[in-house]
Amino acid sequence: MAQVNWRLIDVDALDPDNAFPADLLTPQSPPVSLSEIQGIAQHCRQALQRGDQEGALKDALSYPPYGGDEQVKELHLQTVLEILSSIKQAEMSPILQRLHSGPEGSETVDVLMKYLYKGMARHNAGSTPGVSTHATGVSTVSGQGGREYGVAPSRGDGGGMSVLLSWHEKVVDLAGTGAIVRVMTDRRTV
Amino acid sequence: MSLLLEYHNLLLKTLLTERLNSSTPTGIDQIISDFDNVTYHVSTPEKKTQILISISIKCFQDLLQHGAQGVLEREYGPYITETEAGYDFSLLIDLEALPEDPAEREDLVRRVSLLRRNTLAAPFEKAINTHHQLAEAAKSASPESAPQQNESEVMVIRYRDEEAMYIQASHDRVTVIFSTVFREETDRIFGKVFLSEFVDARRRAIQNAPQVLYRNDPPLEIRGLVDEQQQQGQGEIGYVTFVLFPRHLTAQRREENISHIQTFRDYFHYHIKAAKAYMHSRMRRRVADFLKVLNRAKPEVEEGEKKERKTATGRSFRVQA
Amino acid sequence: MSQSLRPYLKCVRSSLTAAMSLSDFASQTAERHNVPEIEAGKSPEVLLNPLTISRNEQERVLIEPSVNSIRVSIKIKQADEIEVILVHKFTRFLTQRAENFFILRRKPVKGYDISFLITNFHTEAMLKHKLVDFIIHFMEEVDKEISEMKLFLNARARFVAEAFLTPFD
Repeated sequence: MAQVNWRLIDVDALDPDNAFPADLLTPQSPPVSLSEIQGIAQHCRQALQRGDQEGALKDALSYPPYGGDEQVKELHLQTVLEILSSIKQAEMSPILQRLHSGPEGSETVDVLMKYLYKGMARHNAGSTPGVSTHATGVSTVSGQGGREYGVAPSRGDGGGMSVLLSWHEKVVDLAGTGAIVRVMTDRRTV
Repeated sequence: MSLLLEYHNLLLKTLLTERLNSSTPTGIDQIISDFDNVTYHVSTPEKKTQILISISIKCFQDLLQHGAQGVLEREYGPYITETEAGYDFSLLIDLEALPEDPAEREDLVRRVSLLRRNTLAAPFEKAINTHHQLAEAAKSASPESAPQQNESEVMVIRYRDEEAMYIQASHDRVTVIFSTVFREETDRIFGKVFLSEFVDARRRAIQNAPQVLYRNDPPLEIRGLVDEQQQQGQGEIGYVTFVLFPRHLTAQRREENISHIQTFRDYFHYHIKAAKAYMHSRMRRRVADFLKVLNRAKPEVEEGEKKERKTATGRSFRVQA
Repeated sequence: MSQSLRPYLKCVRSSLTAAMSLSDFASQTAERHNVPEIEAGKSPEVLLNPLTISRNEQERVLIEPSVNSIRVSIKIKQADEIEVILVHKFTRFLTQRAENFFILRRKPVKGYDISFLITNFHTEAMLKHKLVDFIIHFMEEVDKEISEMKLFLNARARFVAEAFLTPFD
């Protein structure tokens, strides 16, 4: 026991009264099950195959699984990233503008911002598959994007990142830094 | 110091030149250091006119085995004297018995200042001589019998505590291997960059240069020898092989090339240090530049300082930053 | 500036601008203390969600915001052994001079090469947009500096090698 440096013990941490109640920190959200989110993913993929990227994006962003577990969130992130990388550079701004001006537009764009940061953060965490790089310029009407879903695409020099970075730039242009602040402050994480 | 290292010891040369050309002899007692932990002791123990020059060199026993005595006798003949205690070899110059001719005097100074080089030259000379013999033998022998006895044993010169030179003669080349220790990770990586350029230089620019090879494990030639050495686990050892071809070993070129290859280890490490020093000064400049940018973030400090404010009573005060 | 660097820096800039909204905040756990909450980590309710901005696998920035301080960590590109050692030397050189750099953290956050810690006291004494400028400038220059140093080292090595080998002939 002589080795224990008593001065370094954080006594406050041992006091249950001092702990900040976790349920106050994270607001309660209705739980989202895996099958539910798979349904949304399926729905979005069909929209993509129809060539309706805007609809797919809108639907995906309207149901952020705040209450889901890690697996659910991961799956939905995959869906969002796939949709994002299927949209051409030139279409980004018009789509964003329509999203933003629609009902609850600001909320939708904030959710998009959360996914952009999560996408960039996850990419580094490990070798988990990220955004497919080639899809940006390729029309997804062929349905190829659907079949490649969840498969690790061969990435070159972080091309997937550049998609997220251009989206980020467009979102900031539209919604300002407020969107970033809301990502930082919103305890409901995607 | 210029880009290349000089072969002689500058301090020794300066000192002797001054003594030999001065009419008033003075007492000297001076220790002079050279590369590879070589130390000279220059003194006038008996009379002011008799200068004793002693050299201490770590690998003298190794060198004696490879004919150092002969080389030194050839170079310094009459000047050799009884070896001073604590040193390996001594010369005595009597100022009253100097050659008359100034050119000869100058040559004496030059030779003495090359003392380290000449001591270390013995194994190289031996290797080159062996090479010529083997080459002759190979020429006269039939092609079938040539492979036998066309390589000499490897000479080991442990000229530093942890580093050594290995010299081997063969009928078509003389191989010189330097083992060199990199104390730090930075040295090791810088060294690698430098050595890869040494390896490439022959391919790229200087076709007639000796071949240079670099590896981290002992080359084939010396594999049996290295294990005897106690390799302390600190730092990493690299092996640099120079292959001298017959064109480097001709009578006209050999003296110069022996001198030159001896300087390799010191030259190499000197330039690693120089590169590091440059990096350092460069980073210093960059840091100053960063600081300047950061200080731009401070709002108008100068103005605040200039503006003197007055209190109600008329006394002036400065706003604390 | 390379094509992919611009959006990366732009993203870092807007994220930093957003994150650098700091206010004075006395410690809730220790009386009469005022510490950067992001370092203390004792009050989860004043820490915000961290943001990661990445350019590729090797280059990324982590912004960890809190009520009175943000921690910005940068991972610098290191393509090979030489760049690793140069980045290491350079960042160490900087951190040893952290005293002059006010906002430099003496130790980088794990997984990153260099970290900055900006508190409300910094944003009160200095102009916030200039602080952002500084970090962007730093990121631009560091890459340039590392690649220049590497080029220099190679050029010097080549010159030295040729100078040594030429006299043999």
